[in-house]
Amino acid sequence: MSLHPQKSIVARILFYVLPPCVVLFLVSLSIFYVSSKRTIEEMTHRNAELITERTVLRTEQVLKSIEKITENNIWLLENGELDEADIEAFTSRIVRDNLEILGCAVAYAPDSFSDPQKAFTRYSYRHLGRITSRGLDNETYAYSLQDWYQLPATLERACWVEPYFDTGGADALISTYAVPFYRRTNGKKEFAGVFAIDVSLDWLTSIVSSVRILDTGYAALISRNGTFVTHEDKDLIMNQTIFSYAAELESLLLREIGRDMQAGNRGFATIRLQEVDWVIAYMPMPSNNWILAVVFPKAEMYAPLRRITLILVVLLVVGLGLLSFIVIRMVTHQLAPLHGFTETVHKIAGGDFDVPLPDIRTEDEMRDLHDSFARMQCDLKEYISNLQLTTSAKEKIESELRIAREIQMGMIPKIFPPFPNLNELDLFAILEPAKEVGGDLYDFFLLDESHLCVAVGDVSGKGVPASLFMAVTRTLLRSIGPRQSSPAAMVSVLNRSLSQNNESSMFVTFFLAILDLQTGQLKYTNAGHNPPVWLHAGGTPERFDTAKNIPVGLFEEHAYGEHECTLLPGDGLFFYTDGVTEAENAQKELFSDERLMQCLGSSTDPDPRKVIECVRACVDTHVAGNEQSDDLTMLSLIYYGNSHEKHLQN
Amino acid sequence: MIFLPMLLIKRVIPFCAFLLLLISLKAQEETLSPLTFTPQWLPQAQFAGFYMAQEKGFYRDAGLEVSIVHPSASVMATEQLKRGEADVISLFLVTALSKRSVDFPLVNIAQLSQNSGLLFVAKKSAGIHSLEDFNGRRVGIWKSGFDEIPKSLFRENNYEIQWVPLLSSINMFLAGGIDAMTVMSYNEYDQIINAGINPDALSVFACSDYGYNIPEDGLYCLQSTLQNRQEDLQRFVRATEKGWAYADTHREETLSVVLRIMTDAHVATNYAHQKWMLEKVLELHQPGSKHVSSGELAEPDFYKTLRLLLEGGYISEKISFQEFHRNLMQDQEVK
Repeated sequence: MSLHPQKSIVARILFYVLPPCVVLFLVSLSIFYVSSKRTIEEMTHRNAELITERTVLRTEQVLKSIEKITENNIWLLENGELDEADIEAFTSRIVRDNLEILGCAVAYAPDSFSDPQKAFTRYSYRHLGRITSRGLDNETYAYSLQDWYQLPATLERACWVEPYFDTGGADALISTYAVPFYRRTNGKKEFAGVFAIDVSLDWLTSIVSSVRILDTGYAALISRNGTFVTHEDKDLIMNQTIFSYAAELESLLLREIGRDMQAGNRGFATIRLQEVDWVIAYMPMPSNNWILAVVFPKAEMYAPLRRITLILVVLLVVGLGLLSFIVIRMVTHQLAPLHGFTETVHKIAGGDFDVPLPDIRTEDEMRDLHDSFARMQCDLKEYISNLQLTTSAKEKIESELRIAREIQMGMIPKIFPPFPNLNELDLFAILEPAKEVGGDLYDFFLLDESHLCVAVGDVSGKGVPASLFMAVTRTLLRSIGPRQSSPAAMVSVLNRSLSQNNESSMFVTFFLAILDLQTGQLKYTNAGHNPPVWLHAGGTPERFDTAKNIPVGLFEEHAYGEHECTLLPGDGLFFYTDGVTEAENAQKELFSDERLMQCLGSSTDPDPRKVIECVRACVDTHVAGNEQSDDLTMLSLIYYGNSHEKHLQN
Repeated sequence: MIFLPMLLIKRVIPFCAFLLLLISLKAQEETLSPLTFTPQWLPQAQFAGFYMAQEKGFYRDAGLEVSIVHPSASVMATEQLKRGEADVISLFLVTALSKRSVDFPLVNIAQLSQNSGLLFVAKKSAGIHSLEDFNGRRVGIWKSGFDEIPKSLFRENNYEIQWVPLLSSINMFLAGGIDAMTVMSYNEYDQIINAGINPDALSVFACSDYGYNIPEDGLYCLQSTLQNRQEDLQRFVRATEKGWAYADTHREETLSVVLRIMTDAHVATNYAHQKWMLEKVLELHQPGSKHVSSGELAEPDFYKTLRLLLEGGYISEKISFQEFHRNLMQDQEVK
């Protein structure tokens, strides 16, 4: 089966059905993709935001609980008169009572302890499962210069100190919450020292590390100064700040994001780092202004969408393939009988009318086509059989006509020269019926040794009736001829005979002439016929200008007169019927008398055969192959006179 | 009999050659002189030249078996020198001059840094735009050692400064506990930038711009070591110079070595900061407008430093330049 669109209906259907399907699908897919992408972005952002908020809330709970411990206990330091043992008991109790606390320190400002000579400090901490206490003021550890002391003391507020990695004993990431405490002396509030709690950040890192978003998204915790406290990449933790990392990656945008985080803003950012696009959602932790950031590769956000899109595209391809298959199958199946019909038509055209038609079981257009074919087959068979009958009848008629023609042609003299012994005269004639048989006639015969009778006639009408009438006319002429001596008498007798019982009212135009071979005297009667042409020897042809009279066969009693003239030796006569002058070309132009005279004038050879051939050639040139519509008869003679004999002898 | 020469060529001669090589290597190893060097601070790019001299075998090539031992939080470099635990240490010029005494006869055997990296930084938001604005402000200054120059500078200008002693953290500055602080251009300044403060938010004053372009890192040993091991010291100093030259021309390689050493020593760091530090330290090593040969301590710098220490009351006795400095980089080969 060909799938060329010009040659196959299936291909054409596919050509018009598939592209719109593809376009429709692609448009739908694009709309789906764009809107889904937006929805996924919104949902993922919302999800990241929720995760960030939830994580911040969870961490805040712990941070707040630590802050609460200091709030609940600081009154003792501010109001109580405590000695060294009391303070050690105080710090030990706090560590003992709160498992999340690694250590607790109370550091009095120099000169502010009850014993002004001492810069008293006490630090209790968990060590090997026990709670140990010691002082902090020694040569290598200037407590008053430590951040945990200096910051609250200077800033006069509680602070979460930047985290640090304790290698001394806890071996953990630690942050210290430090609160300044004051004494009232003489109604004046004076800075007295710092109360600090060390907290392991393990719980915090485990909360943050447990955050997962999409496939590889994670959370990171960044301290106030930008230091990574937790991060997927362990090498970053406590080594890098977000800003040093930005410098290493040469990303100004990352630095700006870090600064926005530091400013306490919450927000979203998209950034390309190391050939990957990342989405960062960040939010500050209210207690210590650290920043929680949720980070995920942007591409992962769209992974499900890409999967679905891929599935849809595969479905499209499969669907279009299936559609094509079904269309091809259905159309091929539906059109299958057409091939049968095509073969049937070829066989019918080859003449096999009884070839069986394809079997159609459906009741659709194909059934109509089948029925039409069946009807056509029947009609064709009937028509052909009728045609065969008609043809055989026609052939019979034609055969009869052919015989009739032979009979008719047999009636006119056709042997030329007709009188080989007559030296005074030469004669030639032709008769070409338009149909098998015609109504023209010519005849010539000797009345006696010196008189020649020549006649040309044209029966009204054509075909068989005219031919019969012509036969009658010719037979009558032959029987009348020897008994009459003048043309007028001959024509009158002929007229009388033909007019009697002429119920079909047929007539014949007739020209009859009797030539005296000795003298050249010509007597003639014209009964309504085209006047013949006198071919003067060496001169211009001349028409016999005589009254035409009425044709023969119409009026029984009509008296025909006769005329007389004398031919000189060398003169010729040219008789013809209107089949010559009325021969038509394709433009319906008649050959006409003028053209005939012209033609005869141009003929240089007076020989009768040559004269007729010349006129025949002129007529043929004129009609130029157009069908002959009338019988065509020409008769030409030349009179040599008595001198002709001498001429021949010479 | 005919195979004997082939056997000699193929087996015996290579074996003998290998033995000879082993013997010579052993001999070389035995001749390496041990030498302990202690930089004045924890591992960082400030000491990149020493690491590269060690890493690229310049010390070994010089016949030295150098151990680089960093000081701990409790034991400073000077202490290690004093105890004999270090043969050579690096120190700031001011530190060396102020620590030198009859009991502790420090000798400068090569001056590496020729310029001062000491800066004052202040947040513009604190309203400090010129040196005058420091008057009456709280300014952070390191407790441990290098406070002589800043204090001298402000004393000279008669500014009243509330000095706030600091250990090493920049958190007081970042948290707003102080208005300004002294920083090293190659270290704390970059830490501040890496804590999210943009350079354009800072007012920066370099001590060198105010007549205090005091050279910093130099190599020091005890007088006795110089007398006893001058040849070793000279080799050390020259190999160190090669190390610095290598660090200068192979910065990425140097940085990877620095980062490895820091990681091994569990010192927090990152690439960007060490890169900054290496670049800045190398800048400080350049003589600039000073007419000094490599390793030379310019005499005017010495006297200026001495004067500011005397005037500030950090020291009470004058020190002889000739006794204090002996440029082993430029000295004649010791026979």
